[in-house]
Amino acid sequence: MEKRCETLTYDQIPFLLARVCGICSASHPMACANALEDLCGIEAPPRAQYIRSIICELERLHSHMLWAGLAGHFIGYNTVFMWAWRYREPILDLCEKVTGNRNHYENFKLGGCRRDIPQDAIPEILEAANDLEKPLTMLFNAVQDDPVLALRTKGIGILTEENARAYCVAGPTARHSNVPIDVRRDEPYAAYGWVDWDVISMDTCDVFAQVAVRLLECFEAIKIIRQCLQKMEKTEPGVIDNEPRAIPEGEGIGHAEAPRGETFHYVRSDGTNYPLRYKVRAPTFVNLPSFKPQVVGGELADAMLTVAAMDPCYSCTERMAVVDRQRNIEGFLTMKDLLKLSHDKTARLMKLHNVRSPELQG
Amino acid sequence: MKRKELIALLKKELADKLADVWERNPKRVYLSVEPEHSVEVNRYLFEHGGRLATASGVDCRDWIEVLYHYCFDPLNVTVTVRAKAYKPECVLDSVAQVFPGASFIEREMNDLLGVTFRNHPDPRRLILADDWPEGVYPLRRDYHHETHTNTGRAVSPDPGRARVLSALRRG
Repeated sequence: MEKRCETLTYDQIPFLLARVCGICSASHPMACANALEDLCGIEAPPRAQYIRSIICELERLHSHMLWAGLAGHFIGYNTVFMWAWRYREPILDLCEKVTGNRNHYENFKLGGCRRDIPQDAIPEILEAANDLEKPLTMLFNAVQDDPVLALRTKGIGILTEENARAYCVAGPTARHSNVPIDVRRDEPYAAYGWVDWDVISMDTCDVFAQVAVRLLECFEAIKIIRQCLQKMEKTEPGVIDNEPRAIPEGEGIGHAEAPRGETFHYVRSDGTNYPLRYKVRAPTFVNLPSFKPQVVGGELADAMLTVAAMDPCYSCTERMAVVDRQRNIEGFLTMKDLLKLSHDKTARLMKLHNVRSPELQG
Repeated sequence: MKRKELIALLKKELADKLADVWERNPKRVYLSVEPEHSVEVNRYLFEHGGRLATASGVDCRDWIEVLYHYCFDPLNVTVTVRAKAYKPECVLDSVAQVFPGASFIEREMNDLLGVTFRNHPDPRRLILADDWPEGVYPLRRDYHHETHTNTGRAVSPDPGRARVLSALRRG
């Protein structure tokens, strides 16, 4: 992709970068817009900034829901999997309403956005965003109260603060280890500096903290979306683009907070229409190596859950990880074996504590 | 500590090691260092709260520029250390021997740009395929995959398995 970027114009690059990952298809173009705007020294108009924030937060919501479902599946709670993915659907519908697509929004460009949100659609979107809160609360409570889930996740896969800093991890993986960093707050891009929200961080450093950080972040995301929509209503419709006159020679750095952590982009320009070098660093690239201190000394049955907890995205890591990860653990253990180990442990604990899988009421 | 204090501190403490300090804008600072000082400067930044976001390599004909990007999150500033690995050897001292967070990216840069990191604790191949030929670095400027040239000419050196895949895609 980096090589391909060198053959594309600055206007084409965000389209390609949206395809780095099917799930963080807003974060990479967002970081790209940040990098290019840093290079050119321009800023997008406020309405475009609000639209960017809304799309990024919707992406965070659906990504965290997807992850919660998968984590449930890896533990052996397929009910959680089904419910989380069921409630991911209205979020995707909302994405479609805002951008015209469930995924791959193609709305980001250097200097602004490609499509505006129509003024009369705002109340409807606002209502849909408010409706997301109830199912999320229900899911969160179910996860919080379940005894087996607590046994499976508390004290498992510890990533100490010291290790988190040494491995330079980012995003929820850092925040669950008491390293409260968040690009949205530390270097406010888009509209994050203009709305009121909190950075969630935990200090227990285990898998449960990862779960809690991600689920609580969903509520913050809804808070941000609501405020952005309300503030956006007051800006002038249609003013969403701030075209640069030319791309100067030089370099630019842009980062954005993707659901999995910070995406980091570096661009070098020689003043032509094409970049000289475009570097993309996706969050899993820094988060994955921290898997090593997390699993050493732990149970094999927990290995799968531990790696799943950091929400690894193999497309982020350029297809290296699947083979590496499995070989690193044990040459002959496949994903299927690990999944079975994990499911067996949950079943054992459920029997021991005489509980059934969590019951959810819609 | 404020942003300005950090930059003043860097200038003072690392004065004899920095070839140039460029404050492109308040949020972006670029430090140029000679190759032999790269590890010391990187160590200083890491020990003073910098988080290595990543490193980028840029092929500049006579050398390969290696840029280590450090984010000082609470200060909202990104400090970039720029070191040159001169061709044809392209050797730099490894930062991964100081902290493990730099390991993956140096291995990646070794694969894609052919920068050798001296004293790297684990210099195995990271992302290129096992049957990728030795000494072929896809992100170098002189590497042209035939699909990138649009001339239909196959350009040496042989890119290995990548060619097989692209031939499949065309068929």
